[in-house]
Amino acid sequence: MTTVASAATGVPATGIPAAAWHHRHLIDLDVVTWPEIELIMRTTEEMKHVLARPIRKVPALNGRRVTTLFYEASTRTRVSFETAARNLSADVVSVSTATSSVTKGESLVDTIRTLEALGAEILVLRHSVSGAPYLAAEIFGGHVLNGGDGWHAHPTQALLDLYTMREHIPGGDLHGRKVAIVGDILHSRVARSNIWSLTAAGADLWLCGPATLLRGMDRWAGAWAGGAIPGHGRFNVTSDIDAALRDADVVMGLRIQRERMSSGLLPSLREYSARFQLNAERMSLAKPDAIVMHPGPMNEGVEIAPDVATSGRSVITDQVTNGVAVRMALLYLLAGSHDAAYEPAHEGAR
Amino acid sequence: MTTQGGALGLTEGGASGPSRPAGASAGPGIGDTVERFELEKAWLVDPVSGREGPGEIVVTDGVLESVVWLEGEEAKGVSDKGVIVAPGFFDLHAHFREPGFEDAETVATGAAAAAHGGYTSVALMPNTQPALDEPGVLARIRSAAAASGSPVEVLAFGAVSAGRAGEQLSAMGELADGGVLGYSDDGSPVKSAKLMRSAMLYAGMLGLPIVEHAEDLELTAGAEAHEGYVASVLGLAGWPAAGEVQAVSRDIAILTDALLDEPRARLHLTHVSTAEALELVRRAKARGLPVTCDVTPHHLAFTDEWIAGSRRWAWEALDTDGRPRDPAGRSRDPWADGALTATPYNTSLRVNPPLRTAADAAACLAALIDGTADAVATDHAPHTAVDKEVEFGRASNGISGIETALGVLLALVDAGKLPLARAIAALTTGPAGVVAAAGRTSATSAARPRGLTEGAPADLVVFDRSDRWRVASESLLSKGKNSPLLGRDIPGRVLLTIAAGRLAYEDPSACEE
Repeated sequence: MTTVASAATGVPATGIPAAAWHHRHLIDLDVVTWPEIELIMRTTEEMKHVLARPIRKVPALNGRRVTTLFYEASTRTRVSFETAARNLSADVVSVSTATSSVTKGESLVDTIRTLEALGAEILVLRHSVSGAPYLAAEIFGGHVLNGGDGWHAHPTQALLDLYTMREHIPGGDLHGRKVAIVGDILHSRVARSNIWSLTAAGADLWLCGPATLLRGMDRWAGAWAGGAIPGHGRFNVTSDIDAALRDADVVMGLRIQRERMSSGLLPSLREYSARFQLNAERMSLAKPDAIVMHPGPMNEGVEIAPDVATSGRSVITDQVTNGVAVRMALLYLLAGSHDAAYEPAHEGAR
Repeated sequence: MTTQGGALGLTEGGASGPSRPAGASAGPGIGDTVERFELEKAWLVDPVSGREGPGEIVVTDGVLESVVWLEGEEAKGVSDKGVIVAPGFFDLHAHFREPGFEDAETVATGAAAAAHGGYTSVALMPNTQPALDEPGVLARIRSAAAASGSPVEVLAFGAVSAGRAGEQLSAMGELADGGVLGYSDDGSPVKSAKLMRSAMLYAGMLGLPIVEHAEDLELTAGAEAHEGYVASVLGLAGWPAAGEVQAVSRDIAILTDALLDEPRARLHLTHVSTAEALELVRRAKARGLPVTCDVTPHHLAFTDEWIAGSRRWAWEALDTDGRPRDPAGRSRDPWADGALTATPYNTSLRVNPPLRTAADAAACLAALIDGTADAVATDHAPHTAVDKEVEFGRASNGISGIETALGVLLALVDAGKLPLARAIAALTTGPAGVVAAAGRTSATSAARPRGLTEGAPADLVVFDRSDRWRVASESLLSKGKNSPLLGRDIPGRVLLTIAAGRLAYEDPSACEE
């Protein structure tokens, strides 16, 4: 078995050359190739071994400075990133909007310049505005790791989802496997990043929800219908929950937020639950060994029934554990890419 | 002084006024009467007579003394791809931000930018602070224009509603007496349909048009980008085409109604951006309704895929036959074909109405060619770095475009998509016609025929179509550096702009010769 870093020297000894990773930042998966995703998966595997040890700490990022900058309330994602960074022995600075000058009106640009001056090398950014990490990447001298931006992208979530699916799908190959993502697709960065990774994996992807929460997605699916994007497959968009779940290998629920009612997108939570909740009866449409996922936080009793969330099919806690491993892998790969020639934050089409 | 093909200079003749650009050893400064300027063997475009071809011009004491059309041997070697002389341009829609937002632009910097773009007249929108809703603000703008020393004619639209709040009419009559060209709540639509009806009647009585920014604010609340494929992928809140179509439809219905009471009611729709709204205008015109409209350079040339990082012109995103890829009007896929070359979410691309699809851009072009669109207006909207160097969804809307409008149109001409004469007309006679058609023209010279007319005060632009120039912070005279074209070379370097017989802009390199 290989390990990420020899405990004695702190030098990576993985068989995974850091040079194989060419991205200075990770903002979305649209520019990440399938071989690069596989590299992330392999590195995550190594990190899982670290997490299996009695002492879950390696010196791979000893002395490196990781700063988490969160403009949105988040417990699990921030803790997951910070745990990952500490497992790699990085120094972690944690900034959230409630405690920073941001509440005094400091701009994102000024905040990032300040954090860089304070020594930040890897910036984990969570932001409510789509595209904000690209602005950060333009001005930050180090590496930007997207912890979720607006409705746009949540690449570490999609990667931990992919890793978790591969763990549970026999053979670990998603090719031709049916994955249904159900819920508020319109506002979901998790769904958007999963579109890139799951279609690259060859999965048969279905996005399902009320028509009001699917707005625009049909146009995306339509643009890809002819198999336009090399390395990516088509995907399906439907409001027919039965069609989405039938013979599915993976079923993922997304959180339904209360403000969708006040903004006129849904009549009521009750009506949503009646038509779209992932309950035992609906889950019987899926394959018997189908797994159930949710990026959290869950509204049990709304988008997912409590017994489904806690059933033997549920891999929701695995997602949380794998999240730490995936984030360790990405921090490790990004930190190792510091010698790579400068690349634009967005490199265009694959 | 005699000049041929590109070697321009005003070194003889001398200045008649005090101001003189630093470093210029001789020759007139900005604002000085051009005492003598001759240009031999250039391509002249006169949209009034409809004539274009090789020719020569002479300006003496600020007057266009002679316009000579060359033929036969004399015309040899002169093409429409070199130095071109056209009447000075007229921008129906610009924001010079004064009073209130002088960090973004002033009347003086705006006028300098306009002249650099080849414009000799500009109509400013009233969304200043305070809004131009009473004649005092207009007087302030006029005095700033006079103090600037620039001969660029600075005109303005008054607000439709007091404070642009959409509740009560502005001081419309007093504004008319002060010389506004019409009324607009631009930046916003006239929010209430009821107030719009009153405004059309009252403005019609005064012989002036309502200029409408057509947007249904309910459909566009929170919107960040055109609702479509690109916004879906980028996770941006959609501004649906229906938001414009619905507003244009409303305004045409109100106009139809208002005309029953006030036959002089007129409607001008500015920055129309969607294929369907343009079709509504086309049909309204066919019915004989007094409707005009303009399109912007950015809606002709850029598309929403620029937000994803594409930098190809709108017409390059269509299939090779110039048509959308399929009946749904879809363009080529920038994620599939290698078009994404720039960082996504560039805030210089945040504009209202938003950049739309290549099919919409093609519809803007078709409207310009068939006359549905009367004019190209820049919607020049300069912003400070503070307002643009932020997250995309928090950036102010607007593109600094008055200096690049000519280059964008020439890119269309170079691509064979737009006849040169039509491009020039859209910048001159087109906008003048929009203002003139209102009937009340005494207050302004903007509505004058914009042609190359012997004996009239010289009002013209000289540019070199094949001389490309680099759009950059340093090369833009506007305070607003929010141009999506930064770093790019565009055709049509403006060499000289003369407004009302006075020097408005002279290219520094031409000055050296």
